[in-house]
Amino acid sequence: MTNTSHEVAKGPHHESGAAPSALSAHSIVKRFPGVLANDSVDFDVLPGEVHTLLGENGAGKSTLAAMLCGLYQPDSGYITRNGERIALSSPRAGLQHGIAMVHQHFRLVERFTVAENVILGSRDLSFRLNRSELEDRVSAVAESYGLPIEPGATVGDLSVGQRQRVEIVKALYQGAEILLLDEPTAVLVPAEVEKLFENVHAMTQAGKSIVFISHKLGEVVEISDRVTVLRNGRVTGHVSGRGTTDTKELARLMVGRDIELSTQRASHATGHEVLQIRDLSLNVGGVSVLSDISFNVHAGEMVGIAGVAGNGQRELADTIAGLISPTSGSVAITGSMSTDRGPIHARELGLAYVPEDRLGMGLVPSMSILDNLLLTRDRHIVVDRASVQPEAVRLIDQFEIKANGPEHIARKLSGGNAQKVLLARELSGGRSATKLLVVCSPTRGLDVGAIETVRALLDDARSAGQAILLISEDLDEVMSLSDRILVLYRGSIVHETPGESAQLATVGAAMAGLSTEGNA
Amino acid sequence: MRSPIRIVFEQRNETPKYLSTLVPLISVIAALVAGGLFLLATGYSPIDTYSNMLSDGFTSSRGITDTLGLSTVLICTGISAAFAFQMNLYNIGGEGQLYLGMIGGAWAGLALGDRLPSFVMIPTVLLLGSLAGAVWILIPAYVRSRLGTSEIVTTLLLTYVAASLVDHFVYSPGSFFVTKNSAFPQGRLVPDSASLTAFGDTSLYPTFFLVALLALVLYWVVKRTEFGYRIQVIADSPRAAHYAGINANRTTLSVMLISGALSGLGGAALIVGPFGRLDPGITLLGYGYAGIVIAALARNNFSAIIVSGILFAGLRSGGDKLQISTDTPIHIGVMLQGAILLFALGGEAFRRYRIHAVRAERAAQ
Repeated sequence: MTNTSHEVAKGPHHESGAAPSALSAHSIVKRFPGVLANDSVDFDVLPGEVHTLLGENGAGKSTLAAMLCGLYQPDSGYITRNGERIALSSPRAGLQHGIAMVHQHFRLVERFTVAENVILGSRDLSFRLNRSELEDRVSAVAESYGLPIEPGATVGDLSVGQRQRVEIVKALYQGAEILLLDEPTAVLVPAEVEKLFENVHAMTQAGKSIVFISHKLGEVVEISDRVTVLRNGRVTGHVSGRGTTDTKELARLMVGRDIELSTQRASHATGHEVLQIRDLSLNVGGVSVLSDISFNVHAGEMVGIAGVAGNGQRELADTIAGLISPTSGSVAITGSMSTDRGPIHARELGLAYVPEDRLGMGLVPSMSILDNLLLTRDRHIVVDRASVQPEAVRLIDQFEIKANGPEHIARKLSGGNAQKVLLARELSGGRSATKLLVVCSPTRGLDVGAIETVRALLDDARSAGQAILLISEDLDEVMSLSDRILVLYRGSIVHETPGESAQLATVGAAMAGLSTEGNA
Repeated sequence: MRSPIRIVFEQRNETPKYLSTLVPLISVIAALVAGGLFLLATGYSPIDTYSNMLSDGFTSSRGITDTLGLSTVLICTGISAAFAFQMNLYNIGGEGQLYLGMIGGAWAGLALGDRLPSFVMIPTVLLLGSLAGAVWILIPAYVRSRLGTSEIVTTLLLTYVAASLVDHFVYSPGSFFVTKNSAFPQGRLVPDSASLTAFGDTSLYPTFFLVALLALVLYWVVKRTEFGYRIQVIADSPRAAHYAGINANRTTLSVMLISGALSGLGGAALIVGPFGRLDPGITLLGYGYAGIVIAALARNNFSAIIVSGILFAGLRSGGDKLQISTDTPIHIGVMLQGAILLFALGGEAFRRYRIHAVRAERAAQ
C-alpha cells in the first residue's frame, strides 16, 4: 500500500495546526421507538482519509451514516462541515454540501444507460439532452479517478461491481467530496473488492474523504486509515494506522468479548453417499438455470457451494429439497430417488433444509416458535401442541434462543434468534432423523456472536455424521468450513477443490467465471 | 421560516391487547356521535332517536328477539366472508351464494314434500342450501386455485347471475317454485315438515343457536386443527407453505367452498325460518354484503362475529322500526352501519401506528 499518510490538505481551508475535519458529527443522539440507535456519537473524517465505521448489525452504523448524508435528522447533537455547523434536512442538502452516500442496494434505473443514470437528478440540464456530450462529461469524471466505465452501456447489462462503480461515479459527478460507502463489499467477488479498493485509493489521493461502513474485519484493516467501532449505539473504540491493527482487538471492541470464529475442519473419514445428484438440469421459462450438475455429499462431510448470488444456488437447493422438479437428471437421498416426489417425501428420507429466506419461507412470521416447529413435522388432525411444548422449551434452552418462551412470535425474534429457531427445528429431525442438511447462507446478516454459534452447530451436525451441503455467498465462510468446495457459475459447477488446499484467488476467479478448469 | 406541526405515523412493533377491544368500541361510539350530529342538523333529536333504536333493537323483548332472529343470517354471511378473508381470499359474492342457498333449500323442501319427518327434512334443507351455495362458488374457487383468477371479480359477477336466477324461478310461468296458476310472483311455502317453529310469537328461530355454535366450532377449527394450521401458514406466507409441502391449491379450493356453503346455509336458514319460501325480496335486503362488513368489524374473528352480527342486526331492525314509530327516515340505520364501518377501518390506523404531532425541523439554509 502506498498511501499511508493523510497529510493531504488540498481543501479550501488552510487553518493553522491540524487540518479541519471535512465532516464531523458531534454528540449525535438518535432514538427510534424502543431503541437508542446512536448515543452521543462523535465521528469525524479528514480530507483524503478513509475512516471506517465498524460494528455489528444494529450497532448504529447505518443510522449514523444516514444522518451524515441528510437522510435522517439527529435528535440532538450537530454536524459540521469544514468546521462550520450545517443542517442537513435531506439527501439533496447533503449533496449541496458535497456529501453523498452509496447505498448497499443500488438506486439505479436498469433500463437507462450509465450516463443517463449518472446525470439523473442533476438540475443543470438543458431540456434537450445532448447524449454524446453527456457521455463525454461522465467519462471524464470517471477517468479522472481511474474508474473505467462505459457511459453508453445499459445498467441492466452490467455486473454488480460495475453498477457499484456507476453509483460512485454518480456521486463524484454530483460534486461529492465525502463519500459514504455502506457495506460496499457485501455484493462483490474478491477480484471486484480489490478493484474497489484501488478506486478508493485513487479518490483519497485526490483529496476525497471516504466513510467506509463494514462489519468485515479483514477488509477494514486493509482499507482504513482510522477505525471507529460502534456497539449498541455507542462508540467503543478508535483505532488508527493502516495494517497495524489487530483484528482480534477490533472484534473484541465490536462484540464486547473474545470470539473464536475459525472452525476446525473435520478430517475424519467420510461415510457413505447421502446425497447423489446426477446430470441435474433445470430450465425456467426457456432459460437454463442449472445445467448438468453431478456431485455427491457423504455422511460426515460438508460440501460448500460458492458462487455469486443468482448463479443457480437457490434453485439447486430447492430442487434437492423437492420444491422444484428438475427438467432432467435425478436427486437421490440416502439411496432413494427423491426427484419429483415433493418436499415431504424428501424429508421422510432424512432431508433438512434451511433456506436462505428465513422469515417467509423457513419460518412463518406471524406464528409462534412452537407452531413454527410444527411446520415441517407430522401434525395430527387436531394439532397436538401440548405434546410439542416440552420439546420447544428444551430447544429454546439448548440453542440459547432469546425468546419469552414457545409462544414468542417468529417475526419478533432478532435475525440470529430466528436463524437458531430454524436450525433447531431442522437439526432436531422431524419426519425422520436428519441425515442430509442443506443450508443456505446460514450466517448472512447475523452478528458475530450468532455466527459463532451457528457455525459450531453446523460443526456438531457434521461430527454427528450428517451430510451437509452449505450454499453461501460468503466466500470466507465456505472456505473456512467446507471439506470440499464446488463453485457454481451460471448454473454449472465450474470448479472443484478440497477445502484445505483451496486458494482464495482460484475460487474467486471461478466465481467470476474466469476459469473453467477443474470441471467436476 | 415557520415550523409547521407535522403529524407523524409511527409504526407499532406490537399492538397492545386493550386496543383490539378499545378501537372497535370507540369506532361504534364515534359513529353514533357522527350520526347524532347528522340527526341534529336535520332537525331530529339524537337522544330520542337513539333511545328508540336501542329499545326497538336491543332492550325490549320484542326488539331483542327480532334482532337475534335477523342476526342468524347475518352471522352466517359474516362467518362465510371471514372464513375466506382469513386466507386472503376475498369472496365478496356471499350475497349470490345466499340466494342459491335459498333456492337449494326451497327446492329440497318442495321436492321432498311432506313425505319425510321434520328431523330429517330440516337438516336436509339446510344441507342442500349449503351445497347450493358451495356449487355457486365452485367455478370461482377452481379458477382461483388453478389459474389465480381474481375471486373478487368472479364471485361478485356471479351474484348478479344468482339474482337473475331467483327472478327466473319466481317470475317464469309454471316454475317449480311457485303455485300453479297463481298470478302473484311469490314462491310456494315449503311444507310444515321443512319449517321450524319460532320461539313463542317472536321471530327467533332455533337456527340462531345452530349458527352461533357453528361460529364457535369454526373458531376452534382454525385455532386447533391441522386444516386451520394450513390456512394460517398459507395466509401468512405462501412460500413457507410451499416449503413445508402444504398444498395451497387444494386448501384454497376447500376454504372457498366452505365459505360458499356458509352463505348458502344462511339462505337455507331463511327457508326453514322466517321466509319459508323463495322470496324475490331477498335481492333487496343485502344480507350477503352485510356479512362483509360484519366480518371486517370483527377482524375475521369468528366468535367476535356473533357480537358484530347481533350489533348490525339490532341497528337494522331498530332502524326499520323507527320509520314506523316515529317519522325518522329509515336510512338512519343504514347510515349508522356505514359510519361504524368507516370509523372501524379508520381506527385500524390507531392499532397499527402510534400517532403524534411534532414540530417540523427547520430546513437547511
